[in-house]
Amino acid sequence: MTSRVILGKEEVREIFLAYGQAADEKERSQLRERLVEQYMGLVEFLARRFRNRGEPLEDLVQVGTIGLLKAIDRFDLDREVEFSTYATPTIVGELKRHFRDKGWAVRVPRRLQELHLALTEVVGTLGQELGRSPTVAEIAKAAGTDEESVLEGLEVAQAYNSTSLDAPVDTEDGGSSSFADLLGVQDEQLENLEYRASLAPELAKLPERERTILYLRFYRGLTQSEIAVRLGISQMHVSRLLNRTLMRLREAFEEE
Amino acid sequence: MDQVTLRIPAEPAYVQVIRLIAAGLASRLKLTLEDIDDLRIAVDELATYLVGLHGREGTLEVHFMLHDDRIEIQGRGDFAEGAKVRTDLTELSRIILETVADSASLQAIDGAPGFALTKKRPSEVGLS
Repeated sequence: MTSRVILGKEEVREIFLAYGQAADEKERSQLRERLVEQYMGLVEFLARRFRNRGEPLEDLVQVGTIGLLKAIDRFDLDREVEFSTYATPTIVGELKRHFRDKGWAVRVPRRLQELHLALTEVVGTLGQELGRSPTVAEIAKAAGTDEESVLEGLEVAQAYNSTSLDAPVDTEDGGSSSFADLLGVQDEQLENLEYRASLAPELAKLPERERTILYLRFYRGLTQSEIAVRLGISQMHVSRLLNRTLMRLREAFEEE
Repeated sequence: MDQVTLRIPAEPAYVQVIRLIAAGLASRLKLTLEDIDDLRIAVDELATYLVGLHGREGTLEVHFMLHDDRIEIQGRGDFAEGAKVRTDLTELSRIILETVADSASLQAIDGAPGFALTKKRPSEVGLS
């Protein structure tokens, strides 16, 4: 990591002037780099505000940096505002767009998205502190809200077709694990005839992760939290996937 | 014991109402989030047998009985004549319900199709 020299206002202004008048691309990019370096702290500060949404901080810093570059290009010294004041909405906008593009459906009202995000975080933290799943009262207390809001937030997770709710936390798992990988070893129960007979046709149509969760929860008796740890996603995410999968299976049975 | 009774149209959309009330009452019982989620899954599973995926003509009456250490839920269908309601659980449903509930079954209640469900508060959760 390069050491960061914080320049004074006048120096920054000079760099911006030079940037605007740079003779060639090489000079421009050198000056741009100096400006980026100068404001990296701001990007990090802003990115950190989004870090509890399941994306690695480094990724968020990168996204924020794109916003910073846009702001550098568009900044006009004649505006008489501090660059940081000018850049902040652009960087935040880029971060928000990142989450939006990751799949937050517009259909989920913002208030509920936020409630849901807050709850996911609180549930995770409390679960670790308590060593068990928290009660609704405990969640409400920790989240600074009432039990009814918590229940509403939890129901929202199930009620909305939850691809949108899954998206932001989805990256926690980093992908690329096969069913067998996740189980650690090929489980002999997988070969269990009853298991296959009862589930095979419907199971085959499920995405691998959903199938894994179903298997771990109902055939191995793992709790949602244990599955969450195993798959590297939040317990609430496991809950959503589980509920959604069961709904699918019910539909499959009905159609028989 | 506190008792809450609910009567809903036998439509899938209303199953959510059963689930919400079940969650609300389970929260009074100080069940943990995961136990509440289990209860919701159980309610969904059983209620879907009665109501079906596309609904039925008639209503579903649900009784919630809140005991000190457990919640019992009974559903009873009041459907139009000739409604085809499965009376046996599939193998998968049985496995699911065994995991998420302390007891769960489809059973006739006063001659009408119904279900019964019990979820206990695990004893290790002695919360204030």
